[in-house]
Amino acid sequence: MSLAAIARKDFQETVQSRGMIALVVLFSLLVAAFAYAVRPTGQSEQFATEVLLSVFIGPFLVTTLVPLVGVVVGYNAVSGERESGSLKLLLSLPHSRADVVFGKVAGRAAALALAVFAGFLLPALVLIAAPVVFNAGAFLGYTVFAAALGVVFVAIAVGCSAASATQRRALIAGVAIYVLFVLLWGAITGRLVGAAGPVVDALPVSAAQIRVFLRASNPTTAVEALSNAFLGEQLFSGDTANQQLSAAAMLVFWTLAPPLAGLLKFDADDL
Amino acid sequence: MTAIELRGVTKEFAGVTAVRDLDLTVEDGEVYGFLGPNGAGKSTTIDMLLDLVRPTAGTVRVLGADVATDGVAIRRRTGVLPDGFSVYDRLSGRKHVEFAVESKDAADDPDALLARVGLADAADRDAGAYSKGMRQRLALAMALVDDPDLLVLDEPSAGLDPAGAKEMREIVRAEAERGATVFFSSHILEQVDAVCDRVGILRDGELVAEDSVEGLRETVGGEETLEVAAAGADDEAVATVRALDGVSGVTRDGDELVVNCDSDAKTAVIGALEEAGVAVADFHTREASLEDLFLAYTEGDAATRDADSAASTPADDEPADDEPTDDGTDDEPAAEEVDR
Repeated sequence: MSLAAIARKDFQETVQSRGMIALVVLFSLLVAAFAYAVRPTGQSEQFATEVLLSVFIGPFLVTTLVPLVGVVVGYNAVSGERESGSLKLLLSLPHSRADVVFGKVAGRAAALALAVFAGFLLPALVLIAAPVVFNAGAFLGYTVFAAALGVVFVAIAVGCSAASATQRRALIAGVAIYVLFVLLWGAITGRLVGAAGPVVDALPVSAAQIRVFLRASNPTTAVEALSNAFLGEQLFSGDTANQQLSAAAMLVFWTLAPPLAGLLKFDADDL
Repeated sequence: MTAIELRGVTKEFAGVTAVRDLDLTVEDGEVYGFLGPNGAGKSTTIDMLLDLVRPTAGTVRVLGADVATDGVAIRRRTGVLPDGFSVYDRLSGRKHVEFAVESKDAADDPDALLARVGLADAADRDAGAYSKGMRQRLALAMALVDDPDLLVLDEPSAGLDPAGAKEMREIVRAEAERGATVFFSSHILEQVDAVCDRVGILRDGELVAEDSVEGLRETVGGEETLEVAAAGADDEAVATVRALDGVSGVTRDGDELVVNCDSDAKTAVIGALEEAGVAVADFHTREASLEDLFLAYTEGDAATRDADSAASTPADDEPADDEPTDDGTDDEPAAEEVDR
């Protein structure tokens, strides 16, 4: 099975990379330090795992650092091999270019998911030791959402990588995606909706609906919405069930569409 | 059946024609040496066999199938040693071969293959720490997985020491005896002489000659180079010699005359010089080397130059790095091929 072979090889390579290990350690230390720093000093039993995750670790660390790790893990997937020449070795074997792109998405996504789980291990120990009500289920579940966020960014970055002839271009594209989705999404879309006010009025949707749609469209905010619903025990239920569904659908879209688009370009290129 | 069939293949890269209207046929079971100076289009041609590069015009068929549509099926039966590749730095040699075995759904023993190419001792080391020659051996081990019907080897001896180049030739020979078709490229003719059934010489993207090595030698090789120590030779004497039948060129190199002529014209040359009153102190002949032969085809004027002058005046973009070697091995590691 060609795709699985590539995925396995890429997984092995990625988990052995020093950059990856360094990022996991950094992430782990930051989350643990955060968990320690914001731990309740008094005896307030209310300060629970859920609050720590959704109010502190989520917005400050997970939604900023995990996408960054995803981009770092994914951006050189194809372009790196293309530039170094190992892609020639890979395509000398009976692999199609589609196998290469999707095998790399699968292998690197698995490596990143493993890294996220490893990165949450130390903080879990801190939380168990700290005088907090540690909810193992919530913590583990949240880790799954964090990993999903990383996987989406790996897929986007691998897509960019497949479409780029050089590493530099793939890196620029990856960073641009990160800046757009993680740092500027709110500001840009807010301004766009504001500027497009007259047009929006003519459409059969309200500005509020568009804002909800834009929130679900961004993988970062989509995961945030889903994980908060999960921590509030309202996953796919309650008032926001529909928004959550569209957020989940958008996550699937972002996992598949960028690699497909990248493959279109990659498949047509002379290597 | 034909193993490789190119029909009217042209490849243009932004403003450069790398391969021009190329027709090439390699029969099943043949060992075919694909020669040409660096930049002649060899690697581009091989990349088209592997569907890494798509032809601008023409069709490429390998093992009876069209590479544009059946690339994966073709590569399942093909072993490839690419040019200008790199290895996965963080994976061991054995992991590389295991990956090739898995990719081809084969049952080979990776250690046996590594032993065959002389890498048994290095199997557990990361390939990133391998030397150029070891990487070349590793890629060969990967190419040999699953006893391919066709072996495509792009500059297989690059980076190998003389012993390594010899082992490479032995493996090529063994694979040919097994019945595999072998197609390999080189910019050094001596390397292919010993193993090839047929050679094709590519120059500026066109096939300028195709024959057995003996056939090529016969075509160009009636020529010999006669070196005459004749201090007193004046212009008139040189002109006399040049006018003789069977003499294709005369150059004066200090006290020495270098005469390119048919082998049976030698006596006439010496006779003419002595008749002109020139004292011939010494003379000796040199058979056209394979290098001269190669240069004759790739530069087109070997008749008027010998190997020394060819080596001392390298053409601008051409084989400055292939000095003639007597043991037929590449002493210039990793000559970069700049095809695009």
